[in-house]
Amino acid sequence: MNSVFEPSRGARLKTLRVALLGGAALAMAGAASAQEIRVWSGYPELAPFYEHVAEGMKAEYPDLSVRVEAIALREHEKRLALGLTSGEAAEVIELGTSTATRYLENELFNVAPDDVAAFVQDPANFNDFFRDSASYEGTVYGLPLFRGQSALYYNTEMFEAAGLTEPPADMADYTSYAEQLTQRDAAGAPTVSGWSLRLSGGGQGIAEKFWINMFQYGENLVEQNEAGLWRADFANEQGRAALKQYLENVHTLKTVTVEMPADAEAFEREQTAMFIRESWVIGDIAAKAPDLSYATATLPRGSIVAPVSLWISGEGEKADAAWAFAQAANDPENLLWLLDNVGWLPNRSGLDYSAILEAKPALAAFVDYPDTYEFFSLPNIGPVEEILTRTAARLTEAFANPALAADDAAIDAVLVGMQDEINGLLQREGLLAE
Amino acid sequence: MLRRKRWLFAMLAILPTLAIFAWLRMFPIVETLRLSLHKWDILSKNKPFIGLANFQELMGDRLFHEALLNTTIIAFGVLAITIPTAMVLAALIHYRTRSRASGFYETAIFLPHVVSLVPAAMAWKWIFDARLGPLNALLSFFGIQPQAWLFDPTLSIISVIVLCSWQALGYAVLIYLVGFKSLPVSLYEAAKLDGASGTQSFWFLSIPMLKPITLYVSVVTLVSGFNVYAQAFVLASDAQGAPGRQVRVLVLDMLENSFRNYRVGYAASEAVVLLLIVLVLTLIQFSLLRERGRA
Repeated sequence: MNSVFEPSRGARLKTLRVALLGGAALAMAGAASAQEIRVWSGYPELAPFYEHVAEGMKAEYPDLSVRVEAIALREHEKRLALGLTSGEAAEVIELGTSTATRYLENELFNVAPDDVAAFVQDPANFNDFFRDSASYEGTVYGLPLFRGQSALYYNTEMFEAAGLTEPPADMADYTSYAEQLTQRDAAGAPTVSGWSLRLSGGGQGIAEKFWINMFQYGENLVEQNEAGLWRADFANEQGRAALKQYLENVHTLKTVTVEMPADAEAFEREQTAMFIRESWVIGDIAAKAPDLSYATATLPRGSIVAPVSLWISGEGEKADAAWAFAQAANDPENLLWLLDNVGWLPNRSGLDYSAILEAKPALAAFVDYPDTYEFFSLPNIGPVEEILTRTAARLTEAFANPALAADDAAIDAVLVGMQDEINGLLQREGLLAE
Repeated sequence: MLRRKRWLFAMLAILPTLAIFAWLRMFPIVETLRLSLHKWDILSKNKPFIGLANFQELMGDRLFHEALLNTTIIAFGVLAITIPTAMVLAALIHYRTRSRASGFYETAIFLPHVVSLVPAAMAWKWIFDARLGPLNALLSFFGIQPQAWLFDPTLSIISVIVLCSWQALGYAVLIYLVGFKSLPVSLYEAAKLDGASGTQSFWFLSIPMLKPITLYVSVVTLVSGFNVYAQAFVLASDAQGAPGRQVRVLVLDMLENSFRNYRVGYAASEAVVLLLIVLVLTLIQFSLLRERGRA
């Protein structure tokens, strides 16, 4: 006989059914609350930073998983062009303003929610430059994150051996220092370049580096007028001085050649004494050449600033989680981690860098600069990449031509050709200032 | 009636294949032709018709001219290395190796053809490395100074040709081996009776009789040469310090115009020009084949 407290067989089956249904419901609820977002980055060295941010969010968002996909910048740009137009892009997208503008024009990024917009517009968090870099026509779309900014890197042991005690102060110094720092073989061919100029490469970087040097002479590759239109007008004394300095170093003084190892890798291998680059190199040196004796210095007049922001795509809960991630990335602790471990400069104001600067004095040239220091940015216009790529093609051709080195008229002709091509591209896009 | 039924059955049988071919092969070509007549930035919905304006712009585009020249140099460079090398290697395998060993040589030579492009290019990037690469180490035994294979503008394009030839060789050798095996033995025996040496037989019998094979291999090699991309990109483009412009090839130029400059219509016009070049070259080679057939 069954006890009144003992459930009948039917009751037991009913209980089992309820338990199974309940379990399934719980499992479904769990699945529904679990959220995955993707982060697309164009800088592989930033993957640990985004993973660090995701790790820090675990306490508040236990069901959120973040997949970081960081690839080379050019591939990242191609991936975005396809991903955003097909609606298959990641929810969090890291992108420089000059490239992001095209997507903003076509409404392919989400407008920032009110709280995020208020955060970006608060002058205590970002100055006007960075607020504008994450905005389009006055509306906030993104969250400013980090910036590329250049300074001089120099090998202090090579400086000491050459009897140089201070970094170069003006552009004339750069050439004379390069002469003194170049190491040569018995035949006089340079074995260690005095100053690694960007003479070759994938394209855009060549023009960008040339622009940085020309800026030191007071000239820009393109300039905007009051009506918001653009024009290239550098076929003048300043432009000539910048191009001539390259040609003089390559062909007359032979402090560097097109074939020599270049850029950060050459500096880390002590194959060059000086070069101009962004702050990420500090992190790269720490990882690849920790014993390298080097220091950094500000440039004579000012630097390029390339602001990078986080932009959001997607809808609903995914978009909400993406905004939460972007905000977490802007947390002061995370931004200091970024500077300390990766080397990119945060855009947010009011951060206390003192502890990091004490351990890594090379960062000082990027955050402590003279009051008169000037900055410029790549223009936020559609054809900016094409302008840089085509200018780079003309520059590499000029760098390889020894006949130009001592011929001012020929240099001017090269500059006029470059200028006309840029203005032609601007005209094609309806952006040319007459 | 029976013939009509057979015809219908045959049509139905090949219909799925035809449909897939039309969808995957013909539609993209037609769409590329259509896009080449439009201005489209991939992001906007509007694609205004601009006629032949893209083609007119191509005429004055320095980067396109450079890319076309580089691609042509690479394609014909690969052809010039592949054809004679493949023919000689196939002859050596066919006439000079025992049957068991020939299988090994065939596999070893064919292997590069089936290796994925990017890993192969990465391996060659290491081989060409100026400081750590085995090529410079090998050259140093002969007293040759280390060469900047991937940095020097002239050497970098030669490096791309070497890599592409290495990959093309396996397929070409295989086809030539088939050719050698099909040559009539009686002709060689007759030549031998007439006192012809091995070299003379190769020169005056094998090469003329292998002409259809040579033309086929040259068509395939040239077409793949004009489509070169991954090898040039991995070896010598888009890396710091690499002479990107010197190895800028047509497919890379198209990719940049599409996804960096957002000019899909313009890139499509480049694709149409590439299609026409390959088509004309193929037609020339086929017409040579036909002449051979008539002769």
